[in-house]
Amino acid sequence: MRNILLIAKREYLEQVRGRAFRFSTVLVPLLIVVLMGGNFLMARHADSGKHIAIMATNPCLAGAIRDQLLADKENSLSIDVPGPASQELRAALLDQVRNNSLDGLLTIDSNNASSPRMTYTSLSSGDMDIADQLRNAARTAIARQQLLADGINQAEIDRLYKTISIDTQRIDKQGNVAKGSGLTTMIKIYIMLLLILMPILLHGMDMARAIIEEKSSRIFEVMLSVSSPEETLAGKLLGTGAVGLTQIVIWIAAIVLASSSAAVAAMMGGNFDFHISIAEIVFFVIYFVLGFLFYSAIFSGLGATCETAQDLQMYASLIVLPAWLATFAVMNVVTHPGSPWNVVATLCPITSPFVVVPRLGLEAVPIWQLTSSLLLLILSLWAALWFSSRLYRVGILMYGKRATLPELLRWLRSS
Amino acid sequence: MPVVELAAVTKAYESKVAVRELSLKIEAGQMFGLLGPNGAGKTSSIRMMLGITMPDSGKVALFDKPFARKSLDHVGYLPEERGLYKKMKVIDQLVFFGELHGMKAQQARQRATAWAERLEIANALELKTQELSKGMQQKIQFISAILHDPGLIVMDEPFSGLDPVNASLLEQTLIELKNKGRAILFSTHRMDQVEKLCDEICLINNGEAVLSGKVREIKSRYERNRVIVEFEGCADFLKSDEIAEANNYADHAEIKLKPHGDAQKLLHEASAMATIYRYEVVEPSLEEIFIQTVGGRANA
Repeated sequence: MRNILLIAKREYLEQVRGRAFRFSTVLVPLLIVVLMGGNFLMARHADSGKHIAIMATNPCLAGAIRDQLLADKENSLSIDVPGPASQELRAALLDQVRNNSLDGLLTIDSNNASSPRMTYTSLSSGDMDIADQLRNAARTAIARQQLLADGINQAEIDRLYKTISIDTQRIDKQGNVAKGSGLTTMIKIYIMLLLILMPILLHGMDMARAIIEEKSSRIFEVMLSVSSPEETLAGKLLGTGAVGLTQIVIWIAAIVLASSSAAVAAMMGGNFDFHISIAEIVFFVIYFVLGFLFYSAIFSGLGATCETAQDLQMYASLIVLPAWLATFAVMNVVTHPGSPWNVVATLCPITSPFVVVPRLGLEAVPIWQLTSSLLLLILSLWAALWFSSRLYRVGILMYGKRATLPELLRWLRSS
Repeated sequence: MPVVELAAVTKAYESKVAVRELSLKIEAGQMFGLLGPNGAGKTSSIRMMLGITMPDSGKVALFDKPFARKSLDHVGYLPEERGLYKKMKVIDQLVFFGELHGMKAQQARQRATAWAERLEIANALELKTQELSKGMQQKIQFISAILHDPGLIVMDEPFSGLDPVNASLLEQTLIELKNKGRAILFSTHRMDQVEKLCDEICLINNGEAVLSGKVREIKSRYERNRVIVEFEGCADFLKSDEIAEANNYADHAEIKLKPHGDAQKLLHEASAMATIYRYEVVEPSLEEIFIQTVGGRANA
């Protein structure tokens, strides 16, 4: 045990003092902020500054739709309602769309007053957001006109169409209610996913690379003359795991500080309520530790079988790919919380460390799924350690050439 | 009491037998040379001695007890290639290896500093290994192997990369350690050093011991068929029928006699043709014995 702790301490100090640790500690959160902030701002201001024209056979309706669009304070569209509709005007406006001096043209054929025919023309057929806004605005404008025609006064109509805000909250089977806006929950889920995913991949690869380096510099010859391969591997896993945990503690502290700052609250429109339950924290730590050890064991086995960093790059993608696939599983968790695929991803040990914690942030995960998932992950961890320690024991003393699959099988049998 | 003993150990890797039925014994206060051409099985034998690999058959004993990892606390190992962490500070590295051998950090630090001063490398302690020259790294590796004052010191090519001054410094240190009762195992190709330092040797080839015993005894087994002559005058006596092979250097000639060649007859012939300043019949060097024994079987 003494040797394991000494090796773990050495691994920990060397990595924490290294440049790679400093870079990844700063760069990963920066990357998260840039990606999420960028997405958030893009989503929020996707239509900013767009210039469109509305041409209708009924100019009143065109004006009403424009007013409806402009009533939305978050909307920064610039909207023209040119003179009465005509073929010449339509052709001229379409020319402007083609020349990019106009972002889009909405034409409304309102011969049938209750169901006017509307066409939106732009250079991009994927302009879904703006088409949605136009549809909603047109529906409201037509309804308002109809109500006015039916003799209901303007004040009454305004009262009917007053903007309603909605708060979201989640209730579990015990009746506990947790508050939180959809956007905040989304941000929380992606932060948690990245907090687990990034250290596992970064430090797992680092460990495999260090093993190759130690193998080529024959440090293992000296290490194995003092400690057993199992002690060396255990020390490496513990040390690297502690590095990952240190990084996470730094990141969480940074998130807590940032979430209480005025700047973030302002960015989120004063609606930033970053709530995280004790259960989420406990499961986060459990899945991080188990997931980290599981992937690190696989990476260390891989490192012991490779001769060069190039070999590692080639084979590492086989490990990294399932981990990245888990990010798609998390997207499915967000959009379809009750989907059977989420249950599969929760139970599968390759994806469970990344999927369970985000799921807990979104919905109440049944106890049987949690216990089965943990059990399967622990069993897989045991199997990964078993295989890796055998590959490690033989692989670190094999120099000169990359091991083939039949050789790997022989190593497993012989050790 | 043998410090290390291999009893009929065999190790095979897949289809190749690396070591076959090898037996050897090293006593306290003895310097032992493990010799052999490349691929002969030296490293495999050392690995079994140190528990890095286990023998397929046979027994390994350390300090007169069956092999146990705990005994490795009293073994120091210097591998042929650098077994040091490149990016780690030298002093931290020495303390780390000292602690792995059961020392307290403080004690390891004090001894590392003392040894570094003794080997004239104290200024390297605060540097990273990658900043040191090959020779300096070798000295650090040497300190790492002896820091915990082991009873058995295993050295694979310990003088590699050292200039004559530093090689001599290390030789003196090893002789001191030997005199203090430490058992030292050399694995090397440098026959001159083996001849100078080792009491006993074991020559292995293709995994098998082909020659072993005390250096003096081994050399005495071989015929004294080499002659060194310092002379002035005609060198035609070098064509004598008694001679199998002769090399005439600037200040002397080295002669190998034919089997049953007569050294006295040759001296007579030589003195008739030249003025002889020195005429010495010498025993074969270990290098010659090595080449003669391993011969064309060496695969490198």
